[in-house]
Amino acid sequence: MRTVARKIADWIGRLGEVWVEGQVAQLSRRGGAATVFLTLRDPAADLSVPVTCHRDVAERPGLELTEGARVIVRARPDYYVARGSFSLRATEIRAVGLGELLARIERIRQLLAAEGLFDAVRKRPLPFAPAVVGVITGRDSAAERDVLVTARRRWPAVKFEMFNCAVQGPQAAANVIDGLRRLDADPDVEVIVIARGGGSVEDLLPFSDEGLVRAIAATRTPVVTAVGHETDTTLVDHVADVRAATPTDAAHRIVPEIGEQRRLVDGLRSRARHLLTGRLEQQERWLDSMRTRPVLASPDRLLHGREEDVLALRTRARRTLVHRVEGAERDVEHARARVAALSPAATLERGYAVVQRADGSLVRDPAEVADGELLRVRVAGGRLPVRVDRAADPTPPTQEDA
Amino acid sequence: MTESAEPTTTYEQAREELADVVRRLEAGGLTLEESLALWERGEELAKLCQHWLDRARERLAAAAPGDDAGRE
Repeated sequence: MRTVARKIADWIGRLGEVWVEGQVAQLSRRGGAATVFLTLRDPAADLSVPVTCHRDVAERPGLELTEGARVIVRARPDYYVARGSFSLRATEIRAVGLGELLARIERIRQLLAAEGLFDAVRKRPLPFAPAVVGVITGRDSAAERDVLVTARRRWPAVKFEMFNCAVQGPQAAANVIDGLRRLDADPDVEVIVIARGGGSVEDLLPFSDEGLVRAIAATRTPVVTAVGHETDTTLVDHVADVRAATPTDAAHRIVPEIGEQRRLVDGLRSRARHLLTGRLEQQERWLDSMRTRPVLASPDRLLHGREEDVLALRTRARRTLVHRVEGAERDVEHARARVAALSPAATLERGYAVVQRADGSLVRDPAEVADGELLRVRVAGGRLPVRVDRAADPTPPTQEDA
Repeated sequence: MTESAEPTTTYEQAREELADVVRRLEAGGLTLEESLALWERGEELAKLCQHWLDRARERLAAAAPGDDAGRE
């Protein structure tokens, strides 16, 4: 018994140091005990291995050793002779917990952000209604179904170019990169969707792969990502041209809703029609208003006014002429009366006489004429030449006859 | 419209000239011959406008018979 146990212990003791990764299934830490016992379980296969370590190893600052934690352990296989039990004797334990994973992703994020890979100016617009959509998903996954069913319902004419591959695990990133290159090289593919359902941070790890992020940044085709649930953010979401919350949401982003588009088009059409009809009616009203204006509607008015004008002018002309003639006649009558009134003939008729000197001037004063001067006397009956002879008249000259 | 060929004057040109003709007729101060010539031009332009509007209506009616059927 002793011999066998020692030989096994020797043989196991000769095995070298190994690094193993696993999940802490059980943890027992007793108060003052120097040794800590834990059970490490393989994350994929159903097997577990007991691990022992010194308290200092388990309680190293910064290490949060709890049940369920993912850890990497440096250990040497050990056979405890006293109990005949096998264990891994750990000399170093490192957490690969959420914190460390997220910290690693964050470092890559900062690096790529500094390079400008996530800048808004890099985002390309998606085509309005792509004929062919490239889809990268796990085969027969819920994500695949959500994208295809929703997109087809919204836009029945859409076609898909599928690329099915592993979407978790160590090969996932490389697979997705491969799919991306192939779909990007296909000239018919107008937009690429990378879709995967929800999962743990570890499951979604490939979608924060630096190589994949750079591959997406390098595509010519716009890329839509729908990875995990709405709350999960992977680095591909930052670099994608459009980040959809879920695969269904991605389908909404890549194709328009046909009914909605039909309504939109119908609405625009009827608006255009109304607008045009309205304008036409407005113009017709305008034309009617022009045609019913008196100047256009009753052109005879053009003549009408003028005929009246002519008539009026004619009447005025006649009236004016008659006035003129009548006026002239009255004038003649007046003149005749005045001539008659002014004529000395009537005065002469009453017995008056007009005396003129030889030069024709009228004699108004006896002093004007000299004695013996020859004068002419005019009476109603005619002329009579006389010679002045003051001596023949005994009465002195007076003014009374004047 | 007596001529069957498309008139070279656009609706807008005809409309503008018609408005001008009416304005000048209404303003008056023209000789009889001038106003008659203007009136004749106005009639011609009004017919031209009507022709364009009639054609527009025809085209509108012809454009979307399905739309009208759907609306009924």
